[in-house]
Amino acid sequence: MTEAGLALCLLGVSCLSGVAGWIAGGRRLPRRAPFLPVLRRDDAAGREVGLEEMLDFLPDCGLLLTRNGSLRFANTEALAVFGDALGTIVRHPEVFSALQSLNGEIVLATVDVILDVPVRRVVRLVLRLVPEKLSQAGVSVLAILSDRSEQDAVERVRADFVAYASHELRTPLAALIGFIETLRGPAADDPAAQKQFLEIMAAQAGRMQRLIEQLLTLSRVEMTEHRKPRGEVDAARAVARVRDESAPLCSVRGIVLETAAEPLTFQGDEDQVVQVLLNLVENAIKYASTGGRVPVVSLTMAESEVGGKEGVSFTVADNGPGIEARHLPRLTERFYRVEGGRGETAPGYGLGLAIVRHIIDRHDGRLSIESEVGRGTYCTVWLPVRGERRQARERPSLLLE
Amino acid sequence: MTEATHTVKSYEQELERLRGMMARMGGLVERQTAQAVKAVVEGDEEAAIEAPDLDPEVDELEREAEALAIRILALRSPMAIDLREIVAALKITGDLERIGDYAASIARRALKLDMDGGISLIGLRSMGRLVQDNLRRAIDALAARDRDQAVAVWQADTAVDELYTAMFRELMTYMMEDPRNIGSCIHLLFVAKNLERIGDHTTNIAERIYYAVTGEMLPSVRPRGGLGHSSSPDAR
Repeated sequence: MTEAGLALCLLGVSCLSGVAGWIAGGRRLPRRAPFLPVLRRDDAAGREVGLEEMLDFLPDCGLLLTRNGSLRFANTEALAVFGDALGTIVRHPEVFSALQSLNGEIVLATVDVILDVPVRRVVRLVLRLVPEKLSQAGVSVLAILSDRSEQDAVERVRADFVAYASHELRTPLAALIGFIETLRGPAADDPAAQKQFLEIMAAQAGRMQRLIEQLLTLSRVEMTEHRKPRGEVDAARAVARVRDESAPLCSVRGIVLETAAEPLTFQGDEDQVVQVLLNLVENAIKYASTGGRVPVVSLTMAESEVGGKEGVSFTVADNGPGIEARHLPRLTERFYRVEGGRGETAPGYGLGLAIVRHIIDRHDGRLSIESEVGRGTYCTVWLPVRGERRQARERPSLLLE
Repeated sequence: MTEATHTVKSYEQELERLRGMMARMGGLVERQTAQAVKAVVEGDEEAAIEAPDLDPEVDELEREAEALAIRILALRSPMAIDLREIVAALKITGDLERIGDYAASIARRALKLDMDGGISLIGLRSMGRLVQDNLRRAIDALAARDRDQAVAVWQADTAVDELYTAMFRELMTYMMEDPRNIGSCIHLLFVAKNLERIGDHTTNIAERIYYAVTGEMLPSVRPRGGLGHSSSPDAR
């Protein structure tokens, strides 16, 4: 093995142990690995291993940067975990100042970066000056990234949950307490009134239960939002599941859900994709039957390209009363409800589409809602089909597959 | 090394430096916008102070980038795509600087806001998110010289405009409900307007990227996009 090759192995080892040390909260970077593993490559004797090839073998997210903050290389793990967000992370002003602070004497810096869009993420970067004899093509800093979004999300979601739950549950709870007081007092000897009140109370309690379930779903979805889905979705199966799961609601409302699907698989979380489509279909069913016509709801899919990326789009269409244009931009806000035309409030809590939006954000997808009053509504969910993504920096991977 | 390759190399390095400056400016104004939105929506005072503080750095970078671009134009007489890239860079740095100014002005307004009239900031928050996301994608497209991404950003601004109209109507309702809301609502109206302007400059950046990459201009009338936090796929 050549001298440079050996030095590379050393760097790899010290990086690995070093990173483990920092994450465990250790402050000290071991100056040299306690023992040197012997990396023998008899078959490729004499071949030099590049820094980039080494990084691709790391289980951590590693980047190579220049001193001015241009990204020269991202390893497979970094691309898989951070993907499109890498650009935003690297050009963050605090990363730039940390890069500037690295000189011959300070060789290590740690920065925490918070991203707001497309989903909130907290990323910790540990920057390390690459020794001069290893650097090539202007590369001078190695950055190891770790995703700290999970801890951050747990805290935020908990706070949000308490706030929303207490706010939204207060009204139905006050109603329940009112009825209980009436049952104990004025209506204590009136069986007819008791029966009627108990029915209202049961309905209120049911509402509260559904609200809590939706809030829990929303919290779960928010917690995993920053983690890219790694499973596989069978589009035809997902559509079939939506059809089966919405069948009870359809038969109550006397609607036949028309579905059309083609065989196609793409990367994603199938349960979540089903949840998205089911929420949209349930909305469509509820609204279609208030349109005053024979209700028609359909779920169709097609392959389509958005912004140069291959993808698949699912369209849920209904012929309900439609939604006024002024509501459209705000539909995915949580607790946003469209007031009913005849002063009636919409049946839900305004959480369904918020859940839909978070799931689509997680999949890097797009949601578009088009509606015409008196004609109906089209909701289109576009999800990228990964794997065929054009990615200039992507290299054939040795670790995946 | 011969003289010719040396010249080419340093020319490439100068272009690289210009791109680096634009990426840094992009990072700074992204941060400013993020902090400005946070200052208004979450009432975060620290964020409100940080956003205007970054302004001098952005201005300085704009001047440096302009000087460098002019230098390259004068000394190297670039052609075709290089020429377009440099001309676009001159304008893009201008757009970025304006975005920084708007963000700073939003943050300053946030300090004056006195929020207890029960005014909902949810609409402003989603508008802020949308504008930030478009800005992020525009700067990504700039770094990657990605034509398709630029078109997507250009189309997505329709949603920002729609949200602005919705905000306008909503704030108007608050003002009619209770005249005591007028003070805060006027501030918020300017905040929404400035966000909308940031969206417009983001669109400009997307147009210039498209021009630099393809040599063609995008049509002056934008097709209507759908709702969403991004461009609408070819729905229907």
